[in-house]
Amino acid sequence: MRTPEASSPTRAFRGLAAFFWTEALVQLHEELAMATSMVVQVVLLVFVWILNPGLIGVALIGSVVFSAFALGQRVLNEAAYVRIDHKANDLYLAGPLSPEAYFLGMAGGILLIYLGPVVVLGVLAVVVAHLTLGTGLLLVGLSGLVWLFAASVGYVFSTFFRDNRAIWAYSSLFFNVFGVLPPVFYPLGLFPAPLHPIVLLMPPSAAAAILQSTIGVTALSPDALTLAAAGLVVETAAIFLFAIYWARRTVRSK
Amino acid sequence: MSGEALKSTNLRKVYASRGAPSVEALAGVTMEVRRGERVALLGRNGAGKTTFLKIASTLLRPTSGQIEVFGFDVDAAPEKARPFIAVVPQEGKPFFHLCPREQVYMYLRARGLSRETAKARTEEALERMGLTEIADRLSVTLSGGQRQRTMVATVIATEAPLLFLDEPTIGMDPFARRDVWASLRALTQKGSTILLTTHYLDEADALSDRLYIVERGEVLVSGTSDDLKRSVGGTLKVSMPNGAAQIDAFRTFGACVADGIHLSVIVSPERLGELMDLAVRSRLTATVGPVTLEEAFLRVVGRSIDEDS
Repeated sequence: MRTPEASSPTRAFRGLAAFFWTEALVQLHEELAMATSMVVQVVLLVFVWILNPGLIGVALIGSVVFSAFALGQRVLNEAAYVRIDHKANDLYLAGPLSPEAYFLGMAGGILLIYLGPVVVLGVLAVVVAHLTLGTGLLLVGLSGLVWLFAASVGYVFSTFFRDNRAIWAYSSLFFNVFGVLPPVFYPLGLFPAPLHPIVLLMPPSAAAAILQSTIGVTALSPDALTLAAAGLVVETAAIFLFAIYWARRTVRSK
Repeated sequence: MSGEALKSTNLRKVYASRGAPSVEALAGVTMEVRRGERVALLGRNGAGKTTFLKIASTLLRPTSGQIEVFGFDVDAAPEKARPFIAVVPQEGKPFFHLCPREQVYMYLRARGLSRETAKARTEEALERMGLTEIADRLSVTLSGGQRQRTMVATVIATEAPLLFLDEPTIGMDPFARRDVWASLRALTQKGSTILLTTHYLDEADALSDRLYIVERGEVLVSGTSDDLKRSVGGTLKVSMPNGAAQIDAFRTFGACVADGIHLSVIVSPERLGELMDLAVRSRLTATVGPVTLEEAFLRVVGRSIDEDS
């Protein structure tokens, strides 16, 4: 018998790079989606510019965090679509590609292709908000965590649906409740103070609040800063590990 | 390493859902597929074919029973079985925003094949499936049949030791179906083993070394296509378009099936002359042909394969 192509079938992330490029190619051919991926960010930036041009630096920082969240959240729709409409998970997962590689390859491929406009927003944020190198790196790191959080939540949620139409409502809810409504594009101080603990536990607004604090726009107490930072790290780590576990578990239905 | 590519013992699957009665999709299926064989699971829609294939391909957990792929317990250690298998899922589609060449190549790369091997196998599979001319068109622009050919090309290019194909030629034209059959024969000559589901009787007849007829989650009969045809009780079928009213006169010759006013009689070559004499005396038009799997299926299942379960 010929040796199958998988010489080390238990390797956790085998096929990751190939599936990453597969997803990137798929996204690359979606020209319209690429063109429209920045619409919400640009619209919100225009609103802020009209209402209070002095906050455009904060809004630009927020737009980078928001974009990371939105890119991660795309995994929800994509994973559900290829599973429900294309049965691609059956094709790929009944083979040597690991479930972890499938999840992370998909998330990473989407991120790569849509990253260009986010980088432009990031450069604008650095220039307009006069970010130091350290703050710029912090922006990248926190955005990365927000992306990972959203991608993990998106992948886990995608497995619960049998119909794409049902996902649209939840996708929209997730997008607006976590990304648009909380103080991501505007300073935390403009949000009702009693609700600060809630938004500081939501990864996009937590990341934005930490960055606003770093550039001096928002005064965060040490406790609030700790809550935001610890919440972001712990929630992201927890949901990421759960998504890995869930990806393995949901290869097989019951 | 196990002698069989696939072996299932008393495999059961019960789908339970809240507020609805449980459905027993597999009621104790025992079967085996030897290495290098092409085996067809034949049955009506809802007979349990896809459920069996999903369990065998590690995508669904059985309720009870055992199933092994190359000696690896599919339920206990699916990750050990997966490197040996490849699947064409029922109603699977290629990524719409990839062209067939990208789809096949990237899939092979995701399975861990080298660039050179993936490229060579991609071109070979596209050629075999008649996709070369449209290999660089996005799949979203292809017809349903062309997409299905892309799916089959994607999986046959793996040359995996065990291939599962769930209704692989659905939606294809007759020429494309024959391309698939030729490709699958070539794969088994290279050493792969194939288990396919189909409800095309001609496909099962032309392609499979052995077949299993499945009905309501049970294997009713298994054997070669010729075995099953012989079991009908004769090798010839006489069709009489207006003969149903005289069915009693023909029962002595062999199994009779009336469909509306149409009558089919299974008969041995020795008694054909006698039967034709009776048909002429009865002023009936009669045509003679070989017994097909359709008659065997009707005899075993009691219903046409086109009727839903």
